[in-house]
Amino acid sequence: MTYGTTVPHQARQAQTAGGDGDAGLPRLLPVHGAVPVDLRTHRQRFGDPPYSGQAGRLIPVLKAAGLTGRGGAAFPVHRKLAAVARAGTKPVVIGNGAEGEPASDKDKSLLWISPHLVLDGLQLAAEAVGSTAVGLYLHRNPRLQERLRAAMAERAAAGVDFAGVEIFDAPPRFLAGEESALASRVSGGLARPRFKPPMVFERGVVGRPTLVHNVETLAHLALIARFGPRWFRLAGTADEPGSMLCTLHQADGRRDVVETELGTPLRSLLTLDGHVQAVLSGGYHGAWLPAADAARMTLSNGHLEPAGAFVGAGALVALPADRCGIAEAARVARYLALESAGQCGPCFNGLPRIAAAMYEIASPRPDPRAVTDMIHWAGLVEGRGACHHPDGSVRFIRSALHVFRDEITLHGQGRCVDPDRRPFLPLPRDVALSAADWS
Amino acid sequence: MSGITHSTALWYASRATGVVSLLLLTGVTLLGVLVNRQGRLPGLPRFAVTGLHRNLSLLAVAFVAVHVVTAVLDPYVTIGLTAIVIPFSSPYKPLWLGVGAISLDLVLALILTSLARGRISRRLWRALHWLAYLAWGSALLHSLTSSTDLHSGVLLYLAVGCAVAVAGAVIWRIAQAGRDVPVEERAAATLDMMAPRSVRPPGRRGPREHIR
Repeated sequence: MTYGTTVPHQARQAQTAGGDGDAGLPRLLPVHGAVPVDLRTHRQRFGDPPYSGQAGRLIPVLKAAGLTGRGGAAFPVHRKLAAVARAGTKPVVIGNGAEGEPASDKDKSLLWISPHLVLDGLQLAAEAVGSTAVGLYLHRNPRLQERLRAAMAERAAAGVDFAGVEIFDAPPRFLAGEESALASRVSGGLARPRFKPPMVFERGVVGRPTLVHNVETLAHLALIARFGPRWFRLAGTADEPGSMLCTLHQADGRRDVVETELGTPLRSLLTLDGHVQAVLSGGYHGAWLPAADAARMTLSNGHLEPAGAFVGAGALVALPADRCGIAEAARVARYLALESAGQCGPCFNGLPRIAAAMYEIASPRPDPRAVTDMIHWAGLVEGRGACHHPDGSVRFIRSALHVFRDEITLHGQGRCVDPDRRPFLPLPRDVALSAADWS
Repeated sequence: MSGITHSTALWYASRATGVVSLLLLTGVTLLGVLVNRQGRLPGLPRFAVTGLHRNLSLLAVAFVAVHVVTAVLDPYVTIGLTAIVIPFSSPYKPLWLGVGAISLDLVLALILTSLARGRISRRLWRALHWLAYLAWGSALLHSLTSSTDLHSGVLLYLAVGCAVAVAGAVIWRIAQAGRDVPVEERAAATLDMMAPRSVRPPGRRGPREHIR
C-alpha cells in the first residue's frame, strides 16, 4: 500500500490511497492529509519515546528489525550504533537532514510534517550509545528551521527530551550530507568530505565518536522502539523490511513524496505508460533503467542492483519520451562536476572532462571521440577519491550512455528527439565558487 | 686520508651501491615533488609519476640494503649489525655512519607508513612524509662524509648535481604554491578549460592559468 503527501511548500491536497493499513502504513506520515503534526497529536498516536533507561538496550531490537539506513547507503543501523557505543567516550549523535540531492524532497517533507518522530529517534539513539551531545544538521531553510525550533520548544515544555538538540547549518552542496563532510562542518570547518580512516564513528565531530543517521532512519528507529521488530517487518520483504519515503517525479511534471513498502513494484509508484522512455532510480548517483525494464522491477536492491541501479534515498524520476536523455544527463554531469569538493585529482579533473564530453555528445553531430574519451575518464576516476562522489557520478553517467544509446546514434545523424533540449530534471542554479559556499 | 688502502670486493660493492642509492633517493625526492604538484612526465600517462615514485623508492631500499649489508660484512672495518639502524653505535666513524643510519630509519618509516596508508589517518601519513626531505638530506651528508669518493671527479659532479636538483625542486614547489587555484574552484576551473561554451559555469570569464 502506498500513502502519499505533498512537498511542504506546495499547497496541494494530499493524496491518500485507500486501504486498511494492512502493513501498518502510513507510519512516518500522518494517516490523513499533510498537516504538520504537533506534539499533542504525536503523543496521542504514538505516546512518549520509550526510553529503556540503559545504553545499548535498543541495539539488539534494531538488529532483529533489520533497519537499514535511509540516507542512500542502506547500512545496517544496529552496526553503526554498536560501533559508536564501542568506540569510546563522549559520543556525539547527529541527525542528518541535509538533503543535498536535488531530486529528493523526502527529508524536508518528513521534517516539516513529522518532526517529533525524528526528534524522538534522536533521543532514543543518543540513549542507546550513551550520548548527551545531540545535534540536527539542516540546510538554511528559515521556515523549516523555525518549525524544528518550535517542535523542540514544545518538547522542552513537556519535558519529553533528556538531551538538548542543537541545530547546525549545512551549505547547499550536494556533498554537504556526506558523513565526513557533516562531521567536518559540525566541527566548525567546511562541509568537505574527509579521507577515511579514521571513520566518522571512531573520530567524527571534534574528534569524538559520532553517530550520523539520516532523519528518516531516526523516524523508523523511533517507531521500532515502540512497536518492536516484528511490527516493523510487517511491511517490506524479508531481506529488505520496512517502509520508506520516496520522491516521485512523474512524466507530467507532478512531484510527490510518498511512503511505501520496500518491494513495491515501480509501476505502482510511477505512471509508466507509453509517454515514459526511462526511469532514474536512486537520484543523481543512481542509474537509469529503460521504461520497459523498470515496469518489471520492484523497489528493492535485490531487483535493482543486478540491473545496475539501486534504491538509494528513493528518488525516482520518469523521463518523458519527448525529452533528450543525453542532454538531461549532460546537465546533471556538469552539476556533479561543479559540486566536487576539489580535493582529489581524479575527481576535480575527471568529472569536468566527463561533463564536457557529455555536452559534446548532446550536440548535433558530436565528435565520435567524445564517447571513448568519456569511458576512458570514467575508468580513471572510480575509487580514487576521499568519498564516493566520483563513483556515484560515473554510475549515473555510464547508465545514461547505455540506456540512451539510441539517442546517441540519432545525434550522430544530426537529429534529436527534442531539438529544443528542454530541461526536465531538477537542478539548482547556484554554483559553489569560494570557500564560503562550503560553510 | 681515511687510511683505507686494502680494497675488497665487499668494500667496492658497498661504495657502488651507496652511490646508486643516493641517485635513486634523489630521483624519488624529485618525483615526490612532482607528485605533489600533480605534474606529468612528458610522454607518460598521468599515473606514471606516482607509480615511478613508489617503484623507485622500493628499488632504493633494495640498493640501500645491499649497501648496508656489504659494509657490515666487510672485515676491514668494524661496523656492527646494530649500527645499521641505531645511529652513532658503530666503532668505525660513528658520527657519519650514524647519519646514514638516521637516513635508513627515516626511509623505512616512509615506506612502512606508505604501505599501511589505508590503515592510518591521512593527516598522520602526510606529517610523516615530510620527513622525506630529512631522509634525503641525511643520505647526502652521509655520502659526502663516510668516504672521500664523492670529493673529486665524476662523483663530485654527481653529488653537486643531486644537491642542486633537489634544491631547485624545493624552490619551484614553494614558488608554485602561491599560484594554486583555490580548492573550491578547481572543478570549475577545469570546466572553464573545456569547450563547448555551454558547459562553463555562469559568471566565469576564461580559463585559469593552472588547475593545480
